[in-house]
Amino acid sequence: MIDEKILDLKDISKSFFGAEVLHQINLEVHNGEILGLVGENGAGKSTLMNILGGILPPDSGTMELKGLPYLPSDPKDADKARIAFIHQELSLFSNLTVAENMFIDKLPTGALWSVRFDKIRTEAAEYIKTFGVHTMPDAQVETLSMGIRQTIEITKALIKNAEIIIFDEPTTSLSQTEKDNLFKIIAHLKKQGVTIIYISHILEDVFFLCDRIAVLRDGHLVGVNKKDSVSKNQVIKMMIGRDINQVYPTIQKNIGEIIYRVSNIQQGRLVNDISLELRVGEIVGLFGLMGAGRTELVRCLFGVDPFDKGEIEFKGKHYRKLNPEICINNGIAFITEDRRQEGLLMPKSVKDNIVLANLNNLQQSFGMVSSQKEDQEADKVIKELNVKVQNKNRQAAKNLSGGNQQKVVIAKWLLKNPSIFIMDEPTRGVDVGAKFEIYTIINDMAKNGSSILFISSEMEELMGVCDRILVMNKGRIVADIPKSDYSQEKIISYAIGGGN
Amino acid sequence: MEIGINQKRTLNSVRSFVYDNPILVLIVILFIGSCLFVPNFVSPFNLQNLVLQAIDIMIVAIGVTFVVLNGGIDFSSTAVLSLSSVFGAYVMAKSPLASTPWGIPIGILSMVLLGGVVGALNGISVVVLKMPSFIATLASMMVANGLAVYMASIVSETAAVNGLPTQFFVIAGSGGKFYIPVLITMVSAAFAYWLLRYTVFGRRVYATGTNPKTSFISGIPVKKTIFLMMLLSGLFAGLEAVYATARNQSGLPSLGDKVLIDIIAAIIIGGTSIFGGTGGIKQTIYGVVFITLLNNIVNLLGVDWTIIGLLKGILVLIAAFIDIVTKRLELMRKW
Repeated sequence: MIDEKILDLKDISKSFFGAEVLHQINLEVHNGEILGLVGENGAGKSTLMNILGGILPPDSGTMELKGLPYLPSDPKDADKARIAFIHQELSLFSNLTVAENMFIDKLPTGALWSVRFDKIRTEAAEYIKTFGVHTMPDAQVETLSMGIRQTIEITKALIKNAEIIIFDEPTTSLSQTEKDNLFKIIAHLKKQGVTIIYISHILEDVFFLCDRIAVLRDGHLVGVNKKDSVSKNQVIKMMIGRDINQVYPTIQKNIGEIIYRVSNIQQGRLVNDISLELRVGEIVGLFGLMGAGRTELVRCLFGVDPFDKGEIEFKGKHYRKLNPEICINNGIAFITEDRRQEGLLMPKSVKDNIVLANLNNLQQSFGMVSSQKEDQEADKVIKELNVKVQNKNRQAAKNLSGGNQQKVVIAKWLLKNPSIFIMDEPTRGVDVGAKFEIYTIINDMAKNGSSILFISSEMEELMGVCDRILVMNKGRIVADIPKSDYSQEKIISYAIGGGN
Repeated sequence: MEIGINQKRTLNSVRSFVYDNPILVLIVILFIGSCLFVPNFVSPFNLQNLVLQAIDIMIVAIGVTFVVLNGGIDFSSTAVLSLSSVFGAYVMAKSPLASTPWGIPIGILSMVLLGGVVGALNGISVVVLKMPSFIATLASMMVANGLAVYMASIVSETAAVNGLPTQFFVIAGSGGKFYIPVLITMVSAAFAYWLLRYTVFGRRVYATGTNPKTSFISGIPVKKTIFLMMLLSGLFAGLEAVYATARNQSGLPSLGDKVLIDIIAAIIIGGTSIFGGTGGIKQTIYGVVFITLLNNIVNLLGVDWTIIGLLKGILVLIAAFIDIVTKRLELMRKW
């Protein structure tokens, strides 16, 4: 049964304005399998899936679904064909409730087209219980963390009884528990005979879940292998076309004096009497489960949200109240967790985004912006970060791949040469090659004397890059682990709430 | 037909020019059509009238554009026209300053500053009290209108405030000094264009209009920017009042009543997005010219006054529709 073809893509090609993004892709998807799809940012994974999901038409090639020609002209066709697409960027309505979001595509109606709210509430409650999500049907989505929102997004698709479900980077904002939950759900779906296409950068997960792994590189399908017949390193090599010797760059640097000191910061429930220090040249990791308060803490540190008590000392000055402007003027930078809503001006050009935080320094007389300087600086960081963009003045941020978008956000802050760089999940949605580039940049910055506070949900990443790791649990810092004492078990147990 | 590479280049630049400035093309077509088919259109009197009619709303429309670029709206601009007009007329005609040489300059200054006061109050409502600009400016519009009528009733027995010094009317070009209002408008428009296109302030306006959260986190002083935009809108409305009062040669509490629709229509048809973040002074200028042309032609053709309201409404709908569709087109175009 598992060798029967459910989907057959033949010679699928796609170009955008002269640039070929997919080159004659021939891919079979077997009925009931979990097919992993991996590749660097810009390799064409999302484009291929968009074609499958009816969002884009292919330039040439054919698709067959269960032996019959499949030509979706819009996502509704894909829906009708029982193909569900769970996007990397969530599409929930933050002002509606959990139940309303789950059923938004299929609201059950009663008399006179009135919506049966009671019905969706009860059904939503059942799904919540089945999937073990910590929320309620009436909770407003905008109050929920990214992790819970993702789980709702997945539930939404499951409600539609899809036969094929495509997951595009589903675990980037999930906690370990939520991720384990997701894998349980996927296993359950497999037993029901659902075919799954699983796109992810996290190769461990791909190897764990998938039966076969397909690798895309620069728009070409480089290989499809059964999981047992290929190794992780071989897959990486196929992805980037070269050998990668190390995942984390090493660097020689000195760590200096304490330059940044946070004392007894308090805000609501999630920032509970937090104190920490950063030294010159230090890379400090901040780990914790979803809801531990990491994002809330750093938003206080940057003045995005006000804190009730406590103070921050930096460069000899004490601050009891902050806002982003003050921080930026003092050499602090901040990468937010949600780049679409808070990190980028999506409809604006790449160049406009890159110079956004640095406008004051581009000023000439009369408050005018020097367009020459603008160009030079933007080009400089684009090159440094290897941002894949053809025309920085005309291409909008929203048209870049997720990883390149993240690079643009980093570029924006890099222009400021910050002495303190706070990063909330900076490598989310970024591929292996680009991650390495970002780690290298972080290391270089540290070598030049900057201090970095690095939030991540990937323990391995923190262990590979950071000099020490702070662990948060329920709004408190419960551990400060130096590099010499790193161990996955120790970190995770502190995060969960046990700990010595 | 074979065309050489130079011709191809020109063709391409013409094509992209048309794509970027669609309203301008419409205006040219409309203008040429009117020259040919509308009686009395090409007379020097009518053409001069056209310019003066355009200036009727040009300055205030530019001011409102600042606010719209931010994703907000300023309904109070037209009320500022009425209020400043009445107040300025009072200063120049009825106040103790009336017959002194200070009367006119102080009158002019007070009209502009009064606009600024309203603008500042709007700014405070939006930034400090966190009211949506829709509500805040609607409220200030009603208050300003009410004040204008009340003030006029106190200082004058008639509905309008008359008796303004004739030297003042030169602002609107009386006595053959046509260039004065044109100059004033061009300077204001050039200033506004320069501000938005070339300065840091302009960048902040566009950024805030596109996404205030991202802008805030990137260090843009969002509150200050919004406040300044509302202030500017008020000041520009005050300046417009100076011109309009000179043109009507009296202080009219009803000055702004009829033009609100034209102003908003001009801004939207011109191409500034109601969502904020895109558009600008150039677009508004086109929009004002377009609306003015339309008004002028309809008048000359003797079309029923009620029809034109309908026509403008439809045009605004089309423009707003294009606004939304263009956003989708851009998504596909850039790819």
